[in-house]
Order: sequence, then structure tokens, then C-alpha cells
Amino acid sequence: MASILIVDDESVVCKSCEKILKPKGHEVDSALSGQEALGEIEKKRYDVVITDLKMPGIDGMKLLNIVKEKYEEVDVIMITGYASIDTAVEAMKLGAFDYIPKPFTPEELRSVTVRALERRRLLKEEREKASRTYVRFEYTMPDNLYYLPEHAWVKLEEDGNVTAGVDDVFQKSVGEIINVKLPDVGNEVEQGNLCVEIEDSSRRIHKLWSPISGEVIEINHKLTENPSIVNNDPYEAGWIMRVAPSQLESELKNLIYGEALIKWWLKREVIEKRDDKYLQVSALDPKFKHEIAKQPGGENIKVCFGCGICTASCPVREIDETYNPRKIIRMALLGMRDAVLKSDFIWLCSTCYTCTERCPQGVRFTDVINAIKNIAAEEGYIHPALRMQAELLEKEGRLYEIGDFDNKKREKLGLPRVHSEKNVISEIFKVSGFKEIMEKKA
Amino acid sequence: MEYALFLGCTVPARARNYELSTRRVAEALGIRLVDLDGSVCCGFPIKSVHYESFLLTAARNLILAEEKGLDICALCSACTSVLTEVNKELGENEELRKKVLRKLGIRKKFRFSNSIRVKHFARILYEDVGIDKIKSKIQKDLEPLKISAHYGCHYLKPSDIYDNFDNAEHPKSLDELIETTGAVPVDYENKNLCCGAGTLAMDENISFSMANKKLRSIKDAGADAISLICPFCSVMYDNNQPTIESKFSEEYNLPVLYYPQLLGLALGMNKKELGFNMNRVKVAPLLEKLKQ
Repeated sequence: MASILIVDDESVVCKSCEKILKPKGHEVDSALSGQEALGEIEKKRYDVVITDLKMPGIDGMKLLNIVKEKYEEVDVIMITGYASIDTAVEAMKLGAFDYIPKPFTPEELRSVTVRALERRRLLKEEREKASRTYVRFEYTMPDNLYYLPEHAWVKLEEDGNVTAGVDDVFQKSVGEIINVKLPDVGNEVEQGNLCVEIEDSSRRIHKLWSPISGEVIEINHKLTENPSIVNNDPYEAGWIMRVAPSQLESELKNLIYGEALIKWWLKREVIEKRDDKYLQVSALDPKFKHEIAKQPGGENIKVCFGCGICTASCPVREIDETYNPRKIIRMALLGMRDAVLKSDFIWLCSTCYTCTERCPQGVRFTDVINAIKNIAAEEGYIHPALRMQAELLEKEGRLYEIGDFDNKKREKLGLPRVHSEKNVISEIFKVSGFKEIMEKKA
Repeated sequence: MEYALFLGCTVPARARNYELSTRRVAEALGIRLVDLDGSVCCGFPIKSVHYESFLLTAARNLILAEEKGLDICALCSACTSVLTEVNKELGENEELRKKVLRKLGIRKKFRFSNSIRVKHFARILYEDVGIDKIKSKIQKDLEPLKISAHYGCHYLKPSDIYDNFDNAEHPKSLDELIETTGAVPVDYENKNLCCGAGTLAMDENISFSMANKKLRSIKDAGADAISLICPFCSVMYDNNQPTIESKFSEEYNLPVLYYPQLLGLALGMNKKELGFNMNRVKVAPLLEKLKQ
């Protein structure tokens, strides 16, 4: 069970929160001001801090900032009045897990707490998996969307409208979704206010705050029949609603763009001193994906939305988990240039083209991996077996030398002699510049 | 019917049974194969490390065929795939074509895909000779044999370079060719699984595990033999079968025939003409079964 600190200048709120959460087995303490809360946090390790936004002295926002600065691992949930929704949205951008508008029911408090704790459990599980050295689940979020972090996403459509849905962290922390209560078409939704109610398998209701304001012009009816689509495909088939936005430009500023969000996650890793196990933000090279896209065959890498069909169809992956096409693409898109180029796994593709045939986005992964290997070679990393083959080709024009002995054997069978063209490929290697590359040492 | 025969690296050195049976079968069916003198490796092994060298190498081979004015007949699926790909790419991209010719020091104009085509021998049999004509030449019905087709990867993929020839996910052309000999094609699980040769030089374990999986599936399906059309695949299933058997404590004894060897039998050729003595897994039990 978790340790939770309630911070509110109204003792009646603190007491009622305690009353709601204690029977669930949580250890719950209270503080009547931001100042007092900081003292408590110094003394004791809390998993979750639930704080009122408006308090005299150190208010909820200040408390959030200090807690996130010093104790990144503590999850902060804001309690807010209707008038302060804007500030609550801003709080999420600054790292608050979620907020809960006053007045709230016991069930509402329990739901948001359950989600925060489930997310903590998932993260802990991810971190303890020895094999997950690079990519945590949040990083599989598409980088071309706007996010209300750990909550909802917005996609800008070409027609000026937006599509919105729940993100992976929200979806995972809810668990199996059995019902989605959608808004009606024609309804107005407001950024930060309730737009959808999601029911989990324990019949608990979770509230989704709309990431954007405007009129709902279409809803995803498929979710009514089959709400599990949200679990399986939150960014595509599991979309929730289309909205004609009313204040798009100003509201986007309250959200985090995907690419920036990924960096935000990574920064948290650094703050939490886990960067040794994961990666250094400073070591990322955002230009890497463009470098790959410039190579023949690498052109489409940027349209990958991470569905994983490449990995699911890969016969090499079935045998050796270190070869994972989706992971390689994510690493490349994140800019993990060094880790990709120096790895052993990029050389394991069997070139069966199954991934390329099946990719719904037309990403030719077989060619992408070749593009990556071409870049690695240019940096001096060539798999020794391929280097040997290239040297043979340079010398013989073929992978197998056919000498007199072989030709006699061929003649006996009535097959014509084969002549080696010794200079052709060595000349090609010179004019193409590959000769120079082969001489390079990593 | 005349083609420039592109042998590539593996066939003349390690798959002479394939070459021999192909030449015999071609002759019997009236296909004239002209050896493409001066050709080198198709370029496949360098595609992953230096794209431009790959392009130049493949182009150099295509030019030899274009000079002869002949379509290319290739026996190896990887050669077929890269020559088809580069032929198409250079045919469509004038800029690239000019660059390649300049780098190769060639002043003459070459048109690439607009003048010659690249085809695998099996595709020539299926499309250009045709099932009916092959049927009319059959002298010996191979009916008692149950044969599983292994298509391999590069024969049909990437599918966009092959102009809708067969269906990469549900192929049937090789099964039909097998059926033409009278033998019974046997379907099996993992039919589209790669042979694993592509990773053999990097990680033997991966390659052998992949090949083992398919050998198991074919054995379980009750086939007498595998028929295939690529020397790389044959290296995995035939040459390496004993190694795989001992590594995974299995016993397959599954003969691996190049399709022209199978077809040759049906055309009435003898085992010497078809180079059966060069198959690693003994073909004798299969021939016994035919006699019965």
C-alpha cells in the first residue's frame, strides 16, 4: 500500500480525504499549508502528494515545483476549483500527475489515486526488467502529437480540425477498459474539463480531461461496441473524438509536443539519477532520423507510428530478442545514433522483407536497416563477415574464387569454364569511395 | 526463347547440380541460355554496407545483358531481386542513371528496364514457357512423390519490384510447377519462413534455428522432399541439414531438390544429367519410391 500526504488549508478537506483513502489500506498524513507539507516530505518518503492549488503562502504550484525539483519520483495530484482549471492544466505540463476539481466524490478521489499508483507500479516493473535497457513504454508515443502529459493527445488534421484520444500512460494505468462514455456530437468541450468517462474492469470511473476546446464534430462509435480498442491502439483506431477547435493556437501552448515530451521523459530519468541505466539526453542526436531519411530506402522512416507489425512478423526476432525492428526505429527516431550504429543487432536482418511487405505505413524496414548499416560502415563499423565478403569481391569479383580445379570439375560435367573478372569490382570500389571507407577504422 | 544466363557467385561454385539441371531442362524445353561472360557478383552482399557500390556493380551486369539485347535469366533469388530492383530504379530515375554511367566511365546510352527484363528461371518456366507446354513434354509422372515447395524470400519480395507476379503472402506458382510433374504439392506450416541464410555469417544460431523450424514443419506435413529455387536456401536446407540435425537432436533425412532437378526427372532425364550425386542429403530413397 502507498504513503500519501494530503495538503489543504481547510482541515475538513484533509480529514475527508483521509477518511476516503485510509480504508483502502494507505498510510495517509495531512498538512495544513505548503510550508508544513515540505517539512513532512523532508521527514518521510511519500508516494503521492495530493495538494490544494490555492493556499496562502506556498501554494499548490510552488509546492509542485519544489517537490518535482527535489523528489521527482513523488507523484503530485492537484485539487482545484473550477475557476483554476487553466492553472491545473499548466500544472500537468509541469509534472503534476493529474488534478481533481472540487467538489469531488470519494469515488473520484479513489479513481485518480488508483491510477497514480498503478502507473508507479508499471514504471517500477519496467525498470526492474533487466532486458529493458533502452526504451521505456512512454517512449513509444508518436512524436507528432500534442500531449496533456500522461493523459490525452491531440492530433492536428489537415482540414483544421483535431482528433483527440487517451495516451498510453493513461490507458495503461486504467488497465482493461470495459466502457467508454463519449460526448455527444455537437457538444462543446473545454480544455481541462471533463470530456469522456472511462470505466475499468473494477467498474471504477476515470475522468478524461479534454486536451482542447471546441465543438465535437465526430465521435468514435466503434468504442461503444468495443472499448478495448483504446487499450490496443490508443493513437490510431482508439481515437475518441474529432473537434472543431475554438482556441487552437493559444491552447496548444498548454500542451507538450511529442518530440519535446520524449525529451521531458528523458530529463526526468536524469533527474531521478537513472540516466546510467537509460540514456543521456545530451547524447541524443535529433538529426539522426534525417540522416537515415537521406539514404536510399530510408526515406519513409519518419512516418513510422510504432504499430510493431514489423517486429511481430520478424523471423529473426522470434529467435533472438535483441533484434527488434520497432525498437530500432524508435531508437533511430529518438536520435540514439551511437547506440544504434555501434550495436551488434543491426547486422542481424535476414533480408526476408516480411516487415517491408506488411508495414501499413509503407516504411521499408529492410531498406531502413540497410541505410543504417551504410551509415555505420561510413563511420568505420562494418561487420567482420561483411568486410571479408567485400574484400573477396574486390579481389575476385565473386564471393567464391573459381580456379583451375573448379573449372576442371565443371568441364567434367559439361559446364562451361567460368572466368574471374578480377578488376571490375575493385575499380568500382575506387570510384564509389568504398575503398576509402573499408580502410577506415571505427 | 533466348536469355542471358546470369550465374552469380554461389551457383557455379557450390550449386553445380542446380546449374547442370537448369541447362538440361532449358534445352529440353527450347530455352536458349547464353552465358553472360564478363559478369561479376550481382552486388547483393555490398548493398548493406555501401549502396553506391551495390548500384554500380548491379548496373555493370545489366549493361552486359543490354549490350546483347537479351533478357536476363537468373538462378539465384537474391541475384534476381537486386538486378530487378536496380534495373527498375535506373529505368525510372534518369538522374541516377546518368550518374551511374558516368561513374562506370560508360559513354554509350543504356536504357535499363525499358529494354531488358530480369527474370528468375522458375518464373520463365511459369510465365514464358507455361504450364501447358511443360505438361506436354512430361515423360514420367512423378505422382508417388509428395513435395513441399520452398519459395524463399527474394523470389517474390519486395513484391513492388515484381509487377504483381504471384502473391508474396500466398504464393502458388511453384506449387503449380511441382504439380505439373505429377508430384503432389504438400502445404505446411511456416511456408513463407525465410531459410535464414541471410544471417549465417553473422549468427549461425539464428540461421540454423530458422532452418530447423521449417525442416520440422515440412517433415510433420509428411512430404518426401523439398523443392526450391535458390542456392542460398539450398545451402541451409541441404548442405547444413546434417549440422542442424545434430544441433537440434533431430532426424530429418529430407532430400532437397532444385526445381529443375525435379522437373528433369519428369522430363525423363537420368540422375547423372541432373547432378543428384551433388545433393548432400541422399536422393536415392526418393528415386526408389518412384520405381515402385
